[in-house]
Amino acid sequence: MKALFQGVVLEQLIYPFPSFDQEERESVKMMIDSVRRFAQQHVDSARIDTEGQIPEAVLKEMKDMGLFGMLVPPDFGGIGLSTSAFSRVIEEVAFHDASLAVTLGAHQALGLRALLQFGSEAQKKRYLPRLATGEWVAAFALTEPSAGSDASAILTRADLALDGETYVLNGVKSWVTNGGFADVFTVFARTDRGTPGHRPQITPFIVDKTAGILCGRQEKKLGIRGASTTDIILDDVSVRASNVLGNVGRGFKVAMEVLNAGRLSLASGCLGSCKRLIRLTSERAQERHAFGRRIAEFELIKEKIAWMMGETWALESMTYLTAGLVDAHVSDYSLESAICKIFGSETLWRIASEALQVAGGAGYMASLPFERMLRDARVNSIFEGTNEILRLYIAQSGMQAPARAMSEVNHAIRQPIKGFGLLSTFAVQKVRSSFGRKRLGRVHPLLAHEAEKFDSFSAELAKLVEQTIRSHGKELKERQLLQRRLANMAIDLYALAACLYRTTRDIERFGEQGAALALSLTHAFSQDAERRLTHNLVGMNKNRDTDDMNIAAQALAAGKYPFDVI
Amino acid sequence: MKILVPLKRVADPDNANKVKVPADGSKVETTGLEWKPNPFDEYAVEAALRLTENGAQNKVRAGEVVVVTLGPKECETTLRAMLATGADRAIRIEADDDQLDGNVVALALKAIVDKEKPDFVLMGKQAVDGDTNQVGQFLAEYLGWPMATAAATIVEEAGALHVGREVDGGVINLKVKAPGLVTVDLRITAPTSVYSSQTKRDFKYNDGVRFAPLPAIMKAKKKPLDVLKLGDLVADTSLRVIYKKFEPPQGRKAGVKVKDVAELVDKLKNEAKVI
Repeated sequence: MKALFQGVVLEQLIYPFPSFDQEERESVKMMIDSVRRFAQQHVDSARIDTEGQIPEAVLKEMKDMGLFGMLVPPDFGGIGLSTSAFSRVIEEVAFHDASLAVTLGAHQALGLRALLQFGSEAQKKRYLPRLATGEWVAAFALTEPSAGSDASAILTRADLALDGETYVLNGVKSWVTNGGFADVFTVFARTDRGTPGHRPQITPFIVDKTAGILCGRQEKKLGIRGASTTDIILDDVSVRASNVLGNVGRGFKVAMEVLNAGRLSLASGCLGSCKRLIRLTSERAQERHAFGRRIAEFELIKEKIAWMMGETWALESMTYLTAGLVDAHVSDYSLESAICKIFGSETLWRIASEALQVAGGAGYMASLPFERMLRDARVNSIFEGTNEILRLYIAQSGMQAPARAMSEVNHAIRQPIKGFGLLSTFAVQKVRSSFGRKRLGRVHPLLAHEAEKFDSFSAELAKLVEQTIRSHGKELKERQLLQRRLANMAIDLYALAACLYRTTRDIERFGEQGAALALSLTHAFSQDAERRLTHNLVGMNKNRDTDDMNIAAQALAAGKYPFDVI
Repeated sequence: MKILVPLKRVADPDNANKVKVPADGSKVETTGLEWKPNPFDEYAVEAALRLTENGAQNKVRAGEVVVVTLGPKECETTLRAMLATGADRAIRIEADDDQLDGNVVALALKAIVDKEKPDFVLMGKQAVDGDTNQVGQFLAEYLGWPMATAAATIVEEAGALHVGREVDGGVINLKVKAPGLVTVDLRITAPTSVYSSQTKRDFKYNDGVRFAPLPAIMKAKKKPLDVLKLGDLVADTSLRVIYKKFEPPQGRKAGVKVKDVAELVDKLKNEAKVI
């Protein structure tokens, strides 16, 4: 995806669109069947929401089922699912209950993730077997009262004691998911002296609750009420140096890597909820009569359902494309998972809102699940990196390589670009794209129009990136609105590419007729995507930014809306 | 106790709209269908598992459950699902669907019973695709075993099964001595329907069929699954039931709404001619 910012499409990475092999498909089908039966027998989401916790018996059943050890390798007592398989199971859990999915995600996509990726053999041996069975539950503690999006501003300190073998941790972490009952925490703390002007050094520790971690009360919150969310307090907590995860001072990278995995898991959760909402909405539309007809017969209702289908199709395509990239050992999928997280959370929020709208007044009442699902959906655009910060991240890291390359163009140096093997240089690519070379060569001819659109918009994106870097230079960091437009374009292009290659696969597999619905969905989605792409493209040069900044400055100075009609 | 459970895969009713009959009516088109185990057979596996364990400690097996099916290689999915749920071993008899009728299936199963020598055969009362409701009865006849059909409850006592069958007006209780055959109905998976001699009578199961824990799904891949040939088991595989032609059911016609009782009576009398 980073390559796209230079107008390069790495088709070998996305064609063929990833699929489960026969054996994995069979296992995953059995697993989701088990999850479905478990949920039908044991999960009462309305009760979990009202009581603000997942009943002990339900948690125990989830542990007995092996749901806490999905990512832990078999050598350490888990079942070692691939990222795609894990995503599919999380999707199924979220289909039934968002609080359960968040709890499982916080345990393994965040809490024990750093241990999996950066832990030493000894650390893994000590912790993973019990984390895999759920005997121990893990949590991830990064955010602090004064450090949310700005993770490098954390204040929690870890000071090496005089013995040189023990760190003493002090600080407060906010809104830790699973905080109330976790036994093991991945805690990020500063190990520098805190000298102003110096880059902070952050180090991750694996800390047992029994080392003296205190947890605050269960927070009251808008949604996912069954998930445990608490502060945790570290007051002179001693941790052995052998509990450092990875290298001292390299914690920021660890946090980012963990969050990449977490965001993908979050997106698959959003996907599960979207599918549930489509089912609930179509059931409702079939049952409810108005003006002597089922409301499902009205165009305004049908259009909503069609729109939900198209967005969900795009979300599903990009989520499993990204999971497939991870399984194919593509090392850098940070942009892709950020895109999935943004697209997933915003799609779910809008689908939840439209679903509630179809249900009308009844949807607003707590006796139907729509209002709960709307509340549950809201957090996804906030946690694990707000969508705002992630958009800036996408734009900035996407532009890093072009900015670097541009300074090298003059020298016409050939240089491999990070992670993707030997690619042509920016300079060579520029020559090629000016010849209008088709970049999505393997997309099925039935999708030629969409592929062409993709090509022209991605060429525009690359051009814009170059222009923007040139005209704003170092100032660019402050131009958040321009960055957002670039990020939005990247999101839609990734969604489009995922849909195009998935539909191509379906046509190759099932023929044009068998893939008819896939084709319609991709046609429909790409029209929306094109509209948004055009809007963002035009907006780069023609927009209301100056007005907006001026208005905001005045409103903020006044601290209120200053008009009245009286 | 050793129990043999014959299974059949059936087209998933949730995907029933995909069942197609070609214009010449020669067969039911099965390519592209989603499959699932016949629900009554799943109930039989659940009952067999309950009979071979102490319900309160169901991680310890106290007997053996062998599942068997006839069909192509894809049917192994159904068998592995049962191995994941708790069955100990599986057997697949290689055969094409159009080589089989109830009689051939019963003959093949008899050969398996002769080999495996189970104490009991437990099976679904019928499969939800063909709904012939024959194989259990044929098999018991060929074996010369006692049989109880459509069991709603099974309680094991001193090696015999006490079977409750729900009938119009009450429950018939039958005692089936080993070796014997029982076919099961849907209520067999209720919380208090099945008790092995080890399970205390105040124990309550979860309602329905148990689900496989995720690690068991992975481990099931290593459980034994033998493949046998139909021809090696049954000497005469000629079909007694021959399908001549298939036709999809007629689509239902739209009904009519009547304004009042008078019109209804009129239509019943003059159009439907039923009163």
